[in-house]
Amino acid sequence: MASFSLGKYVPFKTPIHKMDPRVKVAALIFLMVAVFLSYGSYTMTFTVMGALALLILILMLVSKTSILKFLKSLKSLWFMIIFLLIIYIVMPRTTGSLTPAFQIKGYQFYWESFLDAGRILLRLVMMIALSMILTSTTAPLDLTFALEWYMTPFKLIGFPAHIIAMTISLALRFIPTILEDVDRIMKAQTSRGVDFEHGGFFKKIKAIISMIIPLFVSAFVRSDELANAMECRGYDPNGKRTRYKKLSFRVGDFFALLFVACVLAGSIYITASGFDLYALLGVSVL
Amino acid sequence: MSNIIEINNLSFSYEEGSKTLDGVSFVVEEGSYVTLIGHNGSGKSTLAKVISGLVDDFTGEVKVFGLDVDRKNIKEIRAKLGLVFQNPDNQFVGSTVRDDMAFGLENRCIPTEEMNPIIEKFAAEAGMSEFLDTAPENLSGGQKQRVAIAGILSMSPDLIIYDEATSMLDPVGKKDILRLTLKLKEENPKLTVFSITHDVEEAWHADKVLVLNKGHLVLEGTPKEVFSHSDELEKIHLEAPFIVSLIKALRNNGINVPDNISSEEELEDYLCR
Repeated sequence: MASFSLGKYVPFKTPIHKMDPRVKVAALIFLMVAVFLSYGSYTMTFTVMGALALLILILMLVSKTSILKFLKSLKSLWFMIIFLLIIYIVMPRTTGSLTPAFQIKGYQFYWESFLDAGRILLRLVMMIALSMILTSTTAPLDLTFALEWYMTPFKLIGFPAHIIAMTISLALRFIPTILEDVDRIMKAQTSRGVDFEHGGFFKKIKAIISMIIPLFVSAFVRSDELANAMECRGYDPNGKRTRYKKLSFRVGDFFALLFVACVLAGSIYITASGFDLYALLGVSVL
Repeated sequence: MSNIIEINNLSFSYEEGSKTLDGVSFVVEEGSYVTLIGHNGSGKSTLAKVISGLVDDFTGEVKVFGLDVDRKNIKEIRAKLGLVFQNPDNQFVGSTVRDDMAFGLENRCIPTEEMNPIIEKFAAEAGMSEFLDTAPENLSGGQKQRVAIAGILSMSPDLIIYDEATSMLDPVGKKDILRLTLKLKEENPKLTVFSITHDVEEAWHADKVLVLNKGHLVLEGTPKEVFSHSDELEKIHLEAPFIVSLIKALRNNGINVPDNISSEEELEDYLCR
């Protein structure tokens, strides 16, 4: 349950919290594209990515996103790190030159393997950081509204964007309730002799089934009652409704969007033109 | 006074052969506080579903606000009716109290600018002003039920139905909701409250009590009348309210308590005099 709080909304009043959620979603996508572009030589790549990492760090500080929580969320990445290293060591890149690093028991290691793995890893870390900034500064409901807004054009072809948005916001609303259920059912089953902590793989599966089935039953009962309650309060999925929360696009949002767009344009320019700062300065590169 | 709910010879069964409701007839007058009590499986929740149009295919006549409960009228009926359900969690739609109260207003197409004043007014009425931005998981069951009531009040209903609204609450929560209900009734004498419950203490404060057993209406009258049949109530596993049992026990022990005493405070005053 602790891992659930990682991407949780933290209600501060920073400029990033106040931003239009639509702009935040767009900014997330722009910056992610920038993170995933390739920038030619290793030195250039790591320079640009370092600059992006610095920008992300500034964003984290401004938005008061807990860096401690972020580092904790990286803990689960160790598996990814080992996996990537193995992949790149077993299968080093086939294009370009390879620089031999060292040999262990006759197996040749290349520097490129480590650099490639490091690049992917850096991208992942930055992606996690960006998503975390978004989710910790944007209330789930606002995020839903933003997604609904982006889906609005599809309403023309009969896509039920408003119903999907309502479904998502209800799902978000019920996460804590369902977690409480999990806790309660686990306690109830433990008191009846089910052991969730010990035993082999199959024993554990069996124990988990004893939790899953009551959980499903309870979830269905809840959804049935919720549907009744919503109907009684006059909810009609296809009917006309007004909106309590309205999204507002302010001047600050415009500049934020402009800034992020410039970052993206700059990184696309570097990629497309093959611009290399170090070649320009005459410094020898990797 | 006109009748808000009028039920005539209502029968309903979930499966063939066993009738959940069997020939039930009663009326609820405008401005009254009526409770329907009964043991588990007596058909009380089904009755609430019939009245609010959540089940159809019943036989008999069910009129709310003088309109037959059917698909054609249900929207009009629901516009003036508010239901509070048993489980506080399963009727909380929004992610905060404010959002939840706004949900009903959104459905009514109330303009956005008018929502906040309405929300604040009725949250204050239900005593939830300081919790407007609180998430449901940080509220007690009683507080969640208060929010449900506030959400209903904001739609200015003529009839509030409690479908075992207090059965999942602790005694403090129960008393709290009862006090709120009585306060609302006092402020708005035209408001009708129909409460389905198995809390006899609540029934004691009503204007009229209906007793349902196995789909039949077995007793009907003022709380005093109904609870004077304590033997019959015991047979269907309903206890009399504490005050009634207390007076009965006192009388059995030779202390003559007059008939007009109806609360613990009055009894205390009488005994201490």
